[in-house]
This record gives sequence, structure tokens and C-alpha cells, in this order.
Amino acid sequence: MQQLIQELKVKLIDILNLQDVTPEKFDENAQLVGGELGIDSIDVLEMVVMVEKDYGIIINNQEVGEKVFSSLVNLARYIKENSSRASS
Amino acid sequence: MTDATVYIAGAGIISAFGSGLPTTEKALRANRSAIKPLTLFSLLQGIPLPVGQIDGLDTPSSLPRTHRLARIAASQAMAGGSGPPDAIIIGTTTGGIATTEELLRKLEDNKELYRYHGLNTVAQFLAREFGCNGPVLTVSTACSSGAVAIAIGLSLLRRGRARTVLVGGVDSLCRLTYFGFHSLQLVDRNGCRPLDENRQGMAVAEGAGMLLLTTKAPHGRHAELLGAGLSCDAYHAAAPHPEGQGAFMAMQNALTDAGLQPEDIGYINLHGTGTPDNDLAESKAVRRLFAVPPPLSSIKGATGHSLAAAGGLEAVVSAIAVTQGLMPANTGLQKVDPLLGLTPLASPAEGSVKAVLSNSFGFGGNNGSLVIGASGAFPRHSSIQSCGALAIHGYACLSGAGNTMATMEQVSRGISVAGMAGMDHVSENLPPQLIRRLKRLPRMTLSLALMAQQDSGLGDQKPGAVFMGTGWGALSETHDFLARLTASKEQFPSPTDFVGSVHNGPASQVAIMFAATGPNITASGGDYSFEQALLTADLMFHDSQRPALILGADEGHTTFSPLLDASIAPGTALADGGGAFCVSRTTQGAKCCITIPFFASSEGNDSLEAMLTSLAATDRPSRYALILAGIPAAMEEQGEAQLQQFLALAQPSAPVVRYRKFTGEFASASAVAAAFAASFLKSEVVPGNFLGGGDIAIDASRNTILVLGFGHFLTAMELYVDTQQ
Repeated sequence: MQQLIQELKVKLIDILNLQDVTPEKFDENAQLVGGELGIDSIDVLEMVVMVEKDYGIIINNQEVGEKVFSSLVNLARYIKENSSRASS
Repeated sequence: MTDATVYIAGAGIISAFGSGLPTTEKALRANRSAIKPLTLFSLLQGIPLPVGQIDGLDTPSSLPRTHRLARIAASQAMAGGSGPPDAIIIGTTTGGIATTEELLRKLEDNKELYRYHGLNTVAQFLAREFGCNGPVLTVSTACSSGAVAIAIGLSLLRRGRARTVLVGGVDSLCRLTYFGFHSLQLVDRNGCRPLDENRQGMAVAEGAGMLLLTTKAPHGRHAELLGAGLSCDAYHAAAPHPEGQGAFMAMQNALTDAGLQPEDIGYINLHGTGTPDNDLAESKAVRRLFAVPPPLSSIKGATGHSLAAAGGLEAVVSAIAVTQGLMPANTGLQKVDPLLGLTPLASPAEGSVKAVLSNSFGFGGNNGSLVIGASGAFPRHSSIQSCGALAIHGYACLSGAGNTMATMEQVSRGISVAGMAGMDHVSENLPPQLIRRLKRLPRMTLSLALMAQQDSGLGDQKPGAVFMGTGWGALSETHDFLARLTASKEQFPSPTDFVGSVHNGPASQVAIMFAATGPNITASGGDYSFEQALLTADLMFHDSQRPALILGADEGHTTFSPLLDASIAPGTALADGGGAFCVSRTTQGAKCCITIPFFASSEGNDSLEAMLTSLAATDRPSRYALILAGIPAAMEEQGEAQLQQFLALAQPSAPVVRYRKFTGEFASASAVAAAFAASFLKSEVVPGNFLGGGDIAIDASRNTILVLGFGHFLTAMELYVDTQQ
């Protein structure tokens, strides 16, 4: 799980171009969407694409999406529960 | 300046319903949806989504689909008049992209085949078809483009700068919009059901809707264009303001412009895309403006959402409503969403309609509302607002040399600034979080906007309106969207790149930065894009409280620039940049003023003479210190001949500098030239090194710099120091 969290931190920093964030500074428990990082609905869609592409999990339900992307740790948990390809 | 009634002398329409007014009216009366699964192009995977596609247009043609749709609707509209229109203003977001997509898939590198890519080529094609030699403008404000084009046409006619104008919107289906809206999860897989409790989004569509507007009273009974209102949400790149604040302002401005009260409106043609957010925000705005809303509906459950065409199509449908007494149904509706608090028409209704309010809202919160009324139903209303010159309080430019200071330092030593500044230089004055999702053009635009605003010394008085010109829009985002679409076999298109790819993306970012809730218009006129933005600002900027920004910018792109821009030879070094001007209508404290006395096609027989007449007609004597001439490389021979002819006719004593020698070749180079002029006027000297001679002092006898554009169009901008201060 910890490995997946680290992996997701690196991926999100890359796809969302969070230039002033490092994996060390990325709090996996902090509010992800609408929080201090300025992540909004377009970023959520970009993360949806990443989750489908890299983990084979499709998220096309807004309610599920809101829960999954509420924090990075919730995202990791969701991927772990739903994926056979996740590394940990 | 006149304040004449503006008549709709002709109307043309083609949509998923088919072509022509009778077909459209019949389909509306039948409450029939024309939305069905896409067949226009094949998909690599997945079930085709429901779209509003036009059938029977399958003959192969080198002319892009958008251009063909535009010609069909325009021919119908032009049948209502005689002779060529004085001006053409078209809203479009797709231009020739459908053709470009096919060419890119074949890895075609013959740039001649890409000649219809630019948005401006649609309006220019119509100008040639219908013999229009006057101003030809292209508006690209996403899904409000058609409505905004019509609003600009109204202003042009009211100011007496034209007597007949062909206006409207057009877009064709293409992979960019089909996959783009899908990537945003804004498409309803079950068709489109605006205002329905179970609505899940829009159906991407295509079409064209055109009006022939005139101030000459036509024979018979005709609908009138009574007013128009523009606004910007200044909220988000793609999502509407949740309370519908921008939608409310656009509708209210349109009513004020028409001199009507809410109770005068007999029917509202909603934007009603069928996305959860749009319909909710729009309903809030409608309920706020109308104590008791009149009958209302969205036709997008029948036609789909034809993007830039929607404002044009729905203006035509609004004209049908007032002339035929037909209020279309909200097709596709099964159970109205109780959260909306509206009662849309479940079936078509008949009855006398004196005035229709038609809404169009777009990405970037670019909103436009139109009021179309029955002939003579309301007393004449004076809506002309007198306004002074556009006074420049702050200016900025970006070039290969960097920011304004770096650019002007190099230019004053007579050294070219052509090139592309590094990305860190382009956005050095912008916070990382603001620009993390933005690529080159929006970064350049924000940087320019901020520099010009800071240079204005207006402090807390932030710009309230934005007028942007860009020849090619966000090439990086467009390229990256299509590249990732292809690389992922159409599976993972980027929502971020799609949102960023719209031409009005950069200007809407500027609006968000400054909370600029007034008109926000992006024009795309090839090498004359900045001139189009300036002309549009002169027509549409009336605010006496807040200043406005007028910008022109283009990015150099390794793949697209040499392929698309006729002036950029493959293998040559790229150049890009732009200019920005913070303007108000008060000359007090201003650095200089800017006007655009002339903008017309060069194809007219006596267009150069007309330009001279316009220049002589300004209320200031022409005391030129310098003439900056813009001749795009692709038009060198023709442009040089035009310049020589101009010099022979005008016999100016001021020196002439061909400014692209300094800026390099890119579409909005004239914005940088205008910044050169503003800088010379401010420093009160044209440096000798720039001229290859001696310094020229700016004084009362030489207080004006003329910036001319040659080639397909002839344009003249004047920047001058107001000596009456």
C-alpha cells in the first residue's frame, strides 16, 4: 500500500504538473480536490484517465469519483481494492 | 453614427434537421430529435456516441466541412438581400480542423493542403463567394461564438460602419470536439435531454446558422435584432459559474440593450446543453431575472449542441418564433428536474411572440444573449453609447528577446528581436500554481496582460473586458490533444488539452486573473488578428468604470507553425510573441491613443484609395513620425506592391519600416509593432538605429505612428499622443 501511495504521488505530480510539490511534501491524507493544491474538476478527469490507463479501473460515476478523489490515500485504497494490476 | 433599426432581412440554417427554414420549422413542429449515433468518421473502439450529424454532405471536396456548411446557410441568408454585404462576421471554433485531422493521420506534409485550417478562412471564403470587400471578422468564443458574432454585427450597423452584414456561426463535427467533450464526461450516451432529471450531458453536433442584418428597411415583415448582451463568468476554464452569474449578466445586458423589460419577453430559447451544471446554472439565472419566466425550451435535445453554430442556429429559430408564432418544444424531456424550478415546453406551442431571448454560453464563461423581436412591436430605443478614443494607459510586448524592456532595448539598437523566448522567460512574472496546466500561448497571454496592467499605473482598477486576437490559437494544446488521441488509439484523449485548445482559452484565463466580467472576445483573423481584436474592442467596449485589455499573441510550434502558416517556410527558425494594451475611454493620464480607421479586403478595386480617404477623414491631421508596414512573407510581392502604391498616393514624409524584419514572422506580429509604436511615443523619440538613420523626435508636428497591414487585407492603425491634454 505504501508503495502504491508513493507511486501515485509521483504520477500525480507529473500529470497535474504540480511544479512546487515534491513526493515528500505531498500529504496523502490532505484534501485532494478543492484543497491547497488547486486541484479541480479538469484534474479529476485527468486522474480518471490515468487510473484507467495505468490500473485498468474505470470511474465514470460522479458519486464514486468524489469519494475516490477526496484524498490520495483514498485513491490508493480504491485502486488496491479494485485492481489486479496494482503492485502492492 | 446612426441608431437605426436592425432588420433580419434573410436567414439560413443547416443542422441535423436538414437544410433550410421550411425543413427546420417542420422538424420543430414535429418535436422530432435528429440525434443519432455518429457515422461521419470511423472509430477505433467503442460504440459511436449520439451526435447531431448532417447527412447528405458526402461528396468529396478539398473544402473543409465547416466551410461547406457555412456556404449553404449563407446562401440562404443572402437570398434575402441584393448585392454583396458590407461586412461579414462569423463565429467558429473548428475552421478546417476536420480536414487537418485527416491530413495529419496520413502524415501529409504538403502545406498547401492545410490552407483552409485557420478559423479565418471560413469567413474569407464566404467573402469571396459573396463578393464582400469590407471588414471580414472571425470570432471564436467557444459555444457562444455565433451569438457574439451577431452581437458585433449589431454594433457595426448601429455605428453606421456598415448597412448590411452577414453574421452567424458554423462548426462541423470533428475528432477534436467529439473526443474532447467525451473526455470531459459531458456527453450523454442516451441522447441529449436538456433540463431532464436524468440528463447526463450534451450531444456534440454540427451546423450553420446565418442572418443577413440590415439597416435598410426590407420589403415585407421581418424580425428585428433588438439587442445583445455579453458577459464573462471569469470563474473557470470549462465549468459555468454555479450561480449562473455570467448568464444572468448576459441576459440582463441584452434586455437593457434592447430597451425591454423581462415581461416583454414572450419566449426564452435556452442554451440548455443538457449537462447537469449548465442547465442548473442557467435555471438559476433565469429565475433571478424573471419573476414569472415566459414559455421556454432548449432545442438541443433535437439538434444536439452545434457549438459555435448554436448561437446562429438559435437566432434563426428565434426569428421563426416571432415571424411564425412557433415556440419549439424542449425535445427529449421526460421528467423535468425539480431542482431547476422551470417548466419547459413539453410540446411545441403556437401563439404570438413579440420578443425572444436567446442564450449562448461557452467555455471560459464567454456568454452572449440576443433579443429578437417582431417587426415594429416595440418603440425605437436609443442604445448608442458615445465613447471617446481608446486611450492606452499601459502596454507590453513579448518577443524572442523577452519582455517589454528587453525587447525595446534591443529594438532601439536596431537589432531584430525575432525568435522564441524560453518558457521560463515567457512566464517569469506568473505564479507556478496559476500556470501549471497552461502551455505556451496562455502563458504568454497572461504574462502580457499582467505586464500591461502593471504598466498602466491604474493600480486597483483592474481590467473588466478582454479583447484578444490570435491567428492560430493554442497550437501546443491542439497538437498534444490530437497526438495523444492517436497514440492511445482514441482511448485516452486529454481533458486538460481539450479545454486548453479552444481559441478563447487564453483570454478567459486573463478574465479569471482580473475578475473581468465584461465582454470577453477572441478574434482570429490570420495575419490581421490583432487588428480584428482592436476593431472589436472599439465596437464593444463602453465601460466607463473599468479599463479593458486588448491583446494579440501567437505561439511558435515546431510541427504546426511551418505546416499551417503560409509565411513560415519549413526549416526556418520560428518566432513568436505578442503585445498587450491596457486601455480606457479617458485620455487623462494616458500614454497615447490607438484607433483603427481602416480594415477592408485588398480585393476591392479602389481599396487603397479608400484607405487614404479613411486616414484623411480622422479629426486629427496626419502628422506621421513613422510608418510601420506589415507585409507577411507569404504575401511579399503583393504586399510590397500595395505599399509602393500607398506611398505613391500618400507621399508621406515619414520613414517606412517593415516591422516583420524586427519581429519575425507570426500572425500577431502587428501587436508587437503597435507596442513598438507606443514605446516610441512614450519615450518621445523614434531611435535612429531602428530607422537606419537619425533619431526622429516625437512632438506636436510629428505625434502619430501609422501601423499598416498589407496582403489579403489592408489595415491601418494609428497610435498618437493626444496633444490637446
